[in-house]
Amino acid sequence: MQKIPLMLAKAGMTIARDVFRGDSPIGIPICGKGTLLTDSLIARFDNMDVQSIYVEGHPVWEEGERSFDDILHELDGRFIKTLQEPLNAMLYDIYKSYLIKSMGGDSDRQAE
Amino acid sequence: MTDKRSDLKKIIMDTKTLPTLPGVIQKLNTLSDNDKSSVQEMAKIVSSDQVLSARILRLANSPSYGFYRVSTISNAMILLGVNVVKSLALSSSIFAIMEKDSVGLWEHSLGVGVAANLIARKLGLPECEEIATAGLLHDIGKVIIPLKCSEAEKTIQKLIYERQIFTMEAEREIIDTDHAEVGGWLSKSWFLPDKLSEPIAFHHDVAKSENHRIKTAVVHIADVLIKASGFGNSGDCFVPSIQKIAWDALKLNEQLLAELVDEVEDKLVEVKNFSLEMMSE
Ligand SMILES: [Fe+2]
Ligand SMILES: [Fe+2]
Repeated sequence: MQKIPLMLAKAGMTIARDVFRGDSPIGIPICGKGTLLTDSLIARFDNMDVQSIYVEGHPVWEEGERSFDDILHELDGRFIKTLQEPLNAMLYDIYKSYLIKSMGGDSDRQAE
Repeated sequence: MTDKRSDLKKIIMDTKTLPTLPGVIQKLNTLSDNDKSSVQEMAKIVSSDQVLSARILRLANSPSYGFYRVSTISNAMILLGVNVVKSLALSSSIFAIMEKDSVGLWEHSLGVGVAANLIARKLGLPECEEIATAGLLHDIGKVIIPLKCSEAEKTIQKLIYERQIFTMEAEREIIDTDHAEVGGWLSKSWFLPDKLSEPIAFHHDVAKSENHRIKTAVVHIADVLIKASGFGNSGDCFVPSIQKIAWDALKLNEQLLAELVDEVEDKLVEVKNFSLEMMSE
């Protein structure tokens, strides 16, 4: 499952969580999970101010297909100047576990 | 102050030379902030400029303030406060001059606005909207420097790339000042209140903030988080040091920081949507 900006939603993706109006994230969903996205559905979400949706799998990748190793490598690069400082090292560890957790997202494809 | 620096200060403080800064802004500065009749007057002045109103409303509905739906200028003044609307007027004008290829800085600024808002709410701080605005504007100096000194800007970029140093270091070497100080001058010349100008001027040196250290600390931490996340592009790609003074001022701890990372990352998807929408127009 992946949370994606509505602008990157495409017909053919499958909704993985109920969708709510953008201005009232509680209440009655406007579309249930499991629905296959169509262009008209995306346009409808847009009209209702929906900013982001959850879709099944991990269909959207930034700047092409980056492997998990690439992503970790970039994280290392960003911290290269400040990793020796305790507070920055703490933030680095938090981000690393966050990335591991979010990239493990592929497993919930089987779960659903 | 050295010659180079004071020359640059003169150039920057001269808001008249900013190509598209609308006359509306000058008019707004003549009105006082807390006077009730001024609020209505201000809403009228801003609403008379349709392009500007549209830009302000769009920013007011950006994920930085995404907790409201704002549909009119007077609504925005009530929900967000006059100071916020005034600074949104300024920043939307400035950001509108930015080149299309500065989308990275746009995203960085929006991201820091969002992160600052999330931190402020999580810590239960007052004036979350002002803090979000300070976050949105914190690197405004980086928009102005290329506009006012395009040659120096090229050298700065070259230096960052060749020596892999922080933007600040390159700026100090080439123009003898930096984007934070420039942002501070700019907010003074716009008569922005201290609670906005201090976070802008001191987000890289929180200890210098005397009256609004908490707000400054929030913007500093928000900047660090967005740099750590790699969202957007603010010149260099390096995570700055977390300043102990900011960490202590906000009484942060590992648990809070981990929760913040989760919340910020989740919200950044909406920020991405917002910037994609802006770029597609
Ligand atoms: Fe900065
Ligand atoms: Fe920044």
